[in-house]
Amino acid sequence: MTKSQGWLALILALAIGSVLVLRSLPLSLGLDLRGGSQLTLLIKPAGAIKKIEPNKLEAVKDVLERRVNGLGVSEATVTSSGDDKIIVQLPGVQDPRKAAEVLGTTAMLEFRAQKPDTEQEMTGLMRLKRLLVAKLDQLVGRDKKGPDVDKSLNELLKSLDLNSPEGASEQQQLEAILADTNRRIVSLFEAPAFTGTHLIDAGRQQQPNSQAWEVTLRFDRIGGDEFAALTKSIAGTNRLLGIMLDGNSISEASVGPQFATAGITGGSASITGQFTAEQARNLEVQLRGGALPLPVEIIENRSVGPTLGAENVRNSLVAAVLGIALVGVFMIVIYRVPGFVAVLALCLYALFNLAIYALIPVTLTLPGIAGFILSVGMAVDANILIFERTKEELQDGNSLFRSVEAGFSRAFSSIFDGHLTTLISCAALGWLGTGLVRGFAITLAVGVLLSLFTALTCSRTLLRLVLSYPALRKPEFFLGSPSHP
Amino acid sequence: MTSSSGALLREPSFRINKYRRFCMVLTIVLLILSVLGLLLSWLSPIHAPLKPGLDFTGGTAIQVERICSPSCKSFSMEELRKTLPANAVVQTLDAGKAISVRTVALSPAKSGEVVESLDRVLGPIQASDTQINTIGPLLGSQLLRSSLLALIVSFAGIAIYISLRYARLYAAMALMCLIHDVILTSGIFAWLGLLAGVEVDSLFVVALLTIAGYSVNDTVVIFDRIREQQQVLPDLTVEDQVDRAVAGTLKRSFYTITSTILPIIALIFFGGESLYWFAVALLVGVLIGGWSSIGLIPPLLPLLGGKLPSKSSTNNPELAA
Repeated sequence: MTKSQGWLALILALAIGSVLVLRSLPLSLGLDLRGGSQLTLLIKPAGAIKKIEPNKLEAVKDVLERRVNGLGVSEATVTSSGDDKIIVQLPGVQDPRKAAEVLGTTAMLEFRAQKPDTEQEMTGLMRLKRLLVAKLDQLVGRDKKGPDVDKSLNELLKSLDLNSPEGASEQQQLEAILADTNRRIVSLFEAPAFTGTHLIDAGRQQQPNSQAWEVTLRFDRIGGDEFAALTKSIAGTNRLLGIMLDGNSISEASVGPQFATAGITGGSASITGQFTAEQARNLEVQLRGGALPLPVEIIENRSVGPTLGAENVRNSLVAAVLGIALVGVFMIVIYRVPGFVAVLALCLYALFNLAIYALIPVTLTLPGIAGFILSVGMAVDANILIFERTKEELQDGNSLFRSVEAGFSRAFSSIFDGHLTTLISCAALGWLGTGLVRGFAITLAVGVLLSLFTALTCSRTLLRLVLSYPALRKPEFFLGSPSHP
Repeated sequence: MTSSSGALLREPSFRINKYRRFCMVLTIVLLILSVLGLLLSWLSPIHAPLKPGLDFTGGTAIQVERICSPSCKSFSMEELRKTLPANAVVQTLDAGKAISVRTVALSPAKSGEVVESLDRVLGPIQASDTQINTIGPLLGSQLLRSSLLALIVSFAGIAIYISLRYARLYAAMALMCLIHDVILTSGIFAWLGLLAGVEVDSLFVVALLTIAGYSVNDTVVIFDRIREQQQVLPDLTVEDQVDRAVAGTLKRSFYTITSTILPIIALIFFGGESLYWFAVALLVGVLIGGWSSIGLIPPLLPLLGGKLPSKSSTNNPELAA
């Protein structure tokens, strides 16, 4: 019996260890259980890059990670998925709009000088833009009591030959014109003198005596020199310095004649678009994180409110406990003493399983929990195979002890084959499947491996322990159901 | 071999091959009904063998819970539709307490706007109960491809294993059984899609894969017993051996199916909305998988041979125990 006692000690130690693990390491819950947003971003090939190489994937991931950190969401994670996808998980975030805006844009900053001899056209376009923005603000109700711009706007629209889409609402028409105006403004600038790669830091501050915010920039040495050269070339003229973000002009500024000799030196600048506090913060986060080397598109957004998540946890917990309890009652009714032992083994199985989830760690999602609940049913199958064999041996008139041992050894090959085929499926799912499917495959695989251990070792050791009590050593306790011939 | 094998020698109480004709007719009828469901679904406006859910079609689904105390504010559907993107499908659930909106894939900004306009028209809504799912159309087809590939690879792996452990015929039978289970489960969901508008999502794929694994487990237990019978009573006809194997494992199959179904039933009743159809698919699949390992393979096996190469039991892992 010493070998058996050794196993018993091991099982006890593992049980205590599991409890300790679960006390110190919390189970990590998926966003469907704790509430939050999950965004999947697809990296799109652009320009000369036709295929996303692993280093590009890493580069995009790095930038996104820095931006996510800038958002200040605790426990946010950024993981790559497949060859060209990045998954961003934002626990507790219910409305992913801001995150989507910050993460989804390339944030390519460009500094450009205005083309010579376009001053007049530029003045007209800038005026049109101002009027359009004011009118749109009034239309959507952001600005209730602005000056009446209709008259001057209509005049301008007539003088410029701008066509707008037919049959759209006034707001849509104006938006289309505004987009066109912006495109025209951009076309009046030269090719970029330098880009945001020479940026070393970004910040934001409120403009004095104003609601508006500005974003401050600091360049590295090369960037500082380029900026000085660029400002010098247009200082004192009416040409503007344009700062473009992702091809849109976000700020146009003139450079005073005092900079004509050396340009604006010192390696810093500020963008004084009419930013709100939030816009300024978003831009700061994006610029600090750097531009994305490739454009991305948000292709998946799953957001679950925290109450809903809590409800999911409650539901699946009730189902899990009830499922195990039902199986337990069933086993005890059918198999009596061994059934009780199987239930004990089942409880150990559940405990070890959770401890392994905490150790690996496996993030529990709804399908993962479903996989766990299902694996409970399959773990019991091993016990049923063993006990049915034990019964057969007993019916053949063998001794109790011998029947139990034979039950274990003769059921082994079926249990082994059944578990191995399930593991083969798990391997295929975990290897080829994505997301939900993989989570399910991992929990099922953990369950299948564990059930081999609990069914073969734990049940056996516990059953031997039970057999060492003469009071329980009665065949009728082991046959239970009315199958006696 | 161990000394006693009384159960293997006993006259079986039940002979599955007596019911061969019944089993085969039932199988064929069920298969025809399933294929009919899949075909009808294809010909119907669904245009696919199963009604694809958001995960496969792509799109945005938004669900909000209204705060209804003391009673739900009434709202006009007309007004609601005006604020939503074109072609949005609006559904009221839970006696008007919850609203779900289905549209083409929206950006997070646009989804947020929809939630805001829902709040305006039929609010107040419980912000912490809001659920937004957006799946790009590209992702759906990728999911389908990777799931199918996973299914095929796992089938191939299982077939290779069984042909090594048993025989090629047995591997072919197990594969047939797997395909049968997948077709029948899909067929039932095709009918559910046609009659009750039930959609399949990525969880359904997970359910199919689980059913496949479970069904093979069931099948292998019977195969193992057939092999044992052939070792103990090698002179009997295959039909007799199969009958004895089925009778010897019948009770175990019944108990195992019951013990697997119990947690699934708990999932159906208490697992909540999001796991409901997943659990139903599992229930259907486990029943079908249980049936096919008793009613599909055993009656067919004797007709196709089914004698295993008589190997000594030395390469059986049972000796390791």
